Amino acid sequence: MRELGRIIERPRLVLALVVILLANGLLFLREQYEKDFCLDLDLPTGGVIFFDGSLTVTREEVDPRAAYRRYTELLDTMRDAPLPEAQRALEEEKETLTARLTGDESRDEDSLDYVAVNNLLKKVEYLAGYGDWLAGIERNKENLLTFSIFNDPDSFSGRNIIKTAEEFEKLRGVELSLVSDGAVGAFMSFRLTDYLLLLALLLVVLSFLEERKAGLWGVVHATPRGRLRLAARRAAILLSASALGVILLYGTDLLIGFTVYGGYGDLDCAVQSVETLGRLPMITSIGGFLLRFLLLRAAAAFLTGLLLWLMVAAVSNVKYTIVVAAAVLAGEYSLYTFLPVQSALNVLKYFNLFTYISLADLYVNYLNIDILGFPLGIRSISQFALVPLVLLLAALCIYVHCHKKPAAGRDLLGRAAYRINSLADKALRRLHIFGMELYKALWVQRGIIIAGLLIYVALGLTYKVNIAVTTSEEQAEKLYTAQFAGEITDDTFASIDAEQHELEVKISAYEEAQAAYSEGSMEYPEFDRLGREASSAKIKSAGLKNVRARCEELRLRGGEEGFTPWLIDDTPFESVYGPAAEANQQKAALTALLALTLLLAGCGAYERQSGMTFLLGSTPRGRGALLLRKLLLAAVMTALVWAAVYGMELYTLLTEFDITAWRAPAKNLPALPDFPFRCSLAAALALLYLCRWLALYSAAALVLLISSLVRRLEASYIAACALMLLPSLLWAYVGIEFLRPLALILPIEAAPVILSSGGGIAPYLLWLSALMLAAAASILRLFYVSERRGHRRAII
Amino acid sequence: MKLELIDLTKRYGNFTALNHVNITFTEGIYGILGANGAGKSTMMNLITDNIPRSEGQILFEGTDILRLGADFRRVLGYMPQEQGYYEHMTAQTFLYYMADLKAIPKREAREEIERLLEITNLSRVRHKKLGGFSGGMKQRVLLAQALLGDPKVVILDEPTAGLDPKERIRIRNFIASLSRERIILLATHIVSDIESISDEVLMMKRGRVVGMNRPEKLIECVAQEVRESVVPGHFSLEDVYLYYLGE
Repeated sequence: MRELGRIIERPRLVLALVVILLANGLLFLREQYEKDFCLDLDLPTGGVIFFDGSLTVTREEVDPRAAYRRYTELLDTMRDAPLPEAQRALEEEKETLTARLTGDESRDEDSLDYVAVNNLLKKVEYLAGYGDWLAGIERNKENLLTFSIFNDPDSFSGRNIIKTAEEFEKLRGVELSLVSDGAVGAFMSFRLTDYLLLLALLLVVLSFLEERKAGLWGVVHATPRGRLRLAARRAAILLSASALGVILLYGTDLLIGFTVYGGYGDLDCAVQSVETLGRLPMITSIGGFLLRFLLLRAAAAFLTGLLLWLMVAAVSNVKYTIVVAAAVLAGEYSLYTFLPVQSALNVLKYFNLFTYISLADLYVNYLNIDILGFPLGIRSISQFALVPLVLLLAALCIYVHCHKKPAAGRDLLGRAAYRINSLADKALRRLHIFGMELYKALWVQRGIIIAGLLIYVALGLTYKVNIAVTTSEEQAEKLYTAQFAGEITDDTFASIDAEQHELEVKISAYEEAQAAYSEGSMEYPEFDRLGREASSAKIKSAGLKNVRARCEELRLRGGEEGFTPWLIDDTPFESVYGPAAEANQQKAALTALLALTLLLAGCGAYERQSGMTFLLGSTPRGRGALLLRKLLLAAVMTALVWAAVYGMELYTLLTEFDITAWRAPAKNLPALPDFPFRCSLAAALALLYLCRWLALYSAAALVLLISSLVRRLEASYIAACALMLLPSLLWAYVGIEFLRPLALILPIEAAPVILSSGGGIAPYLLWLSALMLAAAASILRLFYVSERRGHRRAII
Repeated sequence: MKLELIDLTKRYGNFTALNHVNITFTEGIYGILGANGAGKSTMMNLITDNIPRSEGQILFEGTDILRLGADFRRVLGYMPQEQGYYEHMTAQTFLYYMADLKAIPKREAREEIERLLEITNLSRVRHKKLGGFSGGMKQRVLLAQALLGDPKVVILDEPTAGLDPKERIRIRNFIASLSRERIILLATHIVSDIESISDEVLMMKRGRVVGMNRPEKLIECVAQEVRESVVPGHFSLEDVYLYYLGE
């Protein structure tokens, strides 16, 4: 099997497959954490809300891992209990816990218990109600057939109703059990594996085209074993790759799922015990279902692989194969996703490549489609079509491999590409050096994809956090701050004092009422009302006092330091820039840095890889002038990345909050008492965004330097990503503290350094200056080597 | 017009690639012959200032080219030995790009590119990506870019490598037809490429210029030296080349 050896000896392919495998496992695990282990963590609402405002006192969040442990313990105790009994017990427990959590007597453990009980109850309700659900289908049939539009036994509707009832009738005797079904549920819902398998198969299929890339197609085609035998071997390799891919990728998911959720021991229970698979009209165990699913998955993967192979093999030019494959996949995906179920063309939706890619859909949904008036299950169609389709496609692939001529001349796609190139040339010839540099970065080096992904990611990033208010007093303070926000004048104090007086009146009214009530001159309802009002007023009063103290402090400082005192509601700024939003800031900075690195890392290396260095060096504008354009390009790219990421952040700030204090001096903000510049809040924010642009541009200059030192594009991307991102990642996510000074995301984020207790504006400016100095040194070095090109040696 | 190499030396560590070369080029075509490693490309890279010299000077019209900088490169046309090109660009876009780098105004560039595409027989494939070109086609594109901007100093390092005989003759004739008001340095180890078109031929060996004269003079000189061993009237530039190589 030399062909197999040739394929698996390609380090890039093996590396890519290993990366896919690792990414799949990690992302599967990550999803379980992100989905809170498939638990509903909501707690019952209640408690005293003093104000009609957006702020409410929040309860501490439930730890999903601890909650899942509690859920499993509870499940084990209930496992052997009859379902109605278990349901009753859980309902009672839920009621007790709800009362405790909404009252004043809740214990720390109650939240965990409530989540466990609530989730288990939902599961038990499903299991206990399954028989009724089946009976409902039968009742539904009887009811629907009484209507004239459904009772024609020769119509699709009539046949569909009867078929559905017959299929689920078989499940009547199936005994459902309380099982730990998290693993199977997560396995069936994690769709990324389907696409990663598709990617792996695409890589294997593309490796079949190596001979075309290497210019050996004609040679291979001319050998006695280069046609039928080679094609048959490749089909066998694809089959093996499909089976192995399924075992490794889906096996990893299952292994991680069972490790996280448990449930090995439940494999012999009925498959309908798993809620996700409740609509599967098939009598089998969970283990039997998984085995059957994996076998079909492997066959479907082989079918998908064959289709990909056919697409790419039918196109002579390797470059166009990706375009063709992408176009076909996009078309199929559009049909699969956007075609309505009720459409007359819904055959195209279900008899589709993506049906075989997202195979799990066939098992979690029950649907019959109209084929010439007969209802046919989408699962049955896909399963029965699998074998003939595999045979047909394998034969077609082998036929194309054997009969496609390597030297058949320019084909239709080639002619079309030439025509497109001629149109592009018309536009490109108008461009000057900068335009061409932009074209190279965005089009030739596929920067446009990075830019598109950046915008997609930037739109999906979270830019604000909800500021948790843990006490009622704090809640009151926040709301009074919002109420009295504005320039602090004598009127402000007068308003605060008036409000304070009203509160004190309520408090003293209650004190008087106490005496009156004990003397019997006041009825209990009136006394109770005054009591509740006084209780609320005490909390409000404490919050208001804090607000007054802050106003006094600001007026004093304003007088000393010469700024106009303003009471500012800092919730918007805390939500977006404050310590609570640091994780958001990190993600935004990492996104910006990664995008910028990928956009610019090819700039210098592409010249070297193309062997253009000496040629450019011999032209009058190929040295300093060209470098200036590259630096300008870096500035434009920086602006693009900056606008995408931080533009979205600013948009969030402006649209989510109603900020009126833009003119207020920045020193009034509680987080910026030592802000060294006497400027408004708007100017301070502008300064923050300017600093971020400068930090990003400095990083861009470093990327240009790295790129100029590297000979190959891939090496440049790897080196730039490693040097620019790795220290930040290791510091932020692994906690290696000594890498903090090298973490470039910090000067880009800016806010966390400025606002942290150990930071401040001065250390930040020092940090930014150091980065800008490094960037200036990089630019000088770039100018030096570009003017004296001969001195430059690639280091990688 | 004068391009002078004065005591030009290039060393890589202990290895001397070009050893105290003194030549003055005036208008005309100079064929530079030498085996691999003789120092032809090193000399050309020094003239284009793509590698730093170890010793000596290169003067163009009496001024060092380092001082002239971009002004010298404005009159320079260079075709490197290694095929350097952006494979994702079409032939036409590549030529426009190079024209921009040579500071040629768009209108002039358009006319010149049309003319050069015609001369190099690339008009019919101008919209094809360079990555899909054969070796000979790439050579022709690189030759076309070297001649953009009507350069006064044209440096062609192995311009006919990879070309088929018909293309080679076509290109050779085109080089020969170029105005004599420029300095053309043409390095090759294919003797027939320069035999008929060179005004002078330089023989290089181990970083030194071992012979420089008009082709017929070189043949005459060498023929006189070795007349006992050759048949009179059958002595060619190829024999001179082999003689200087020591074979």
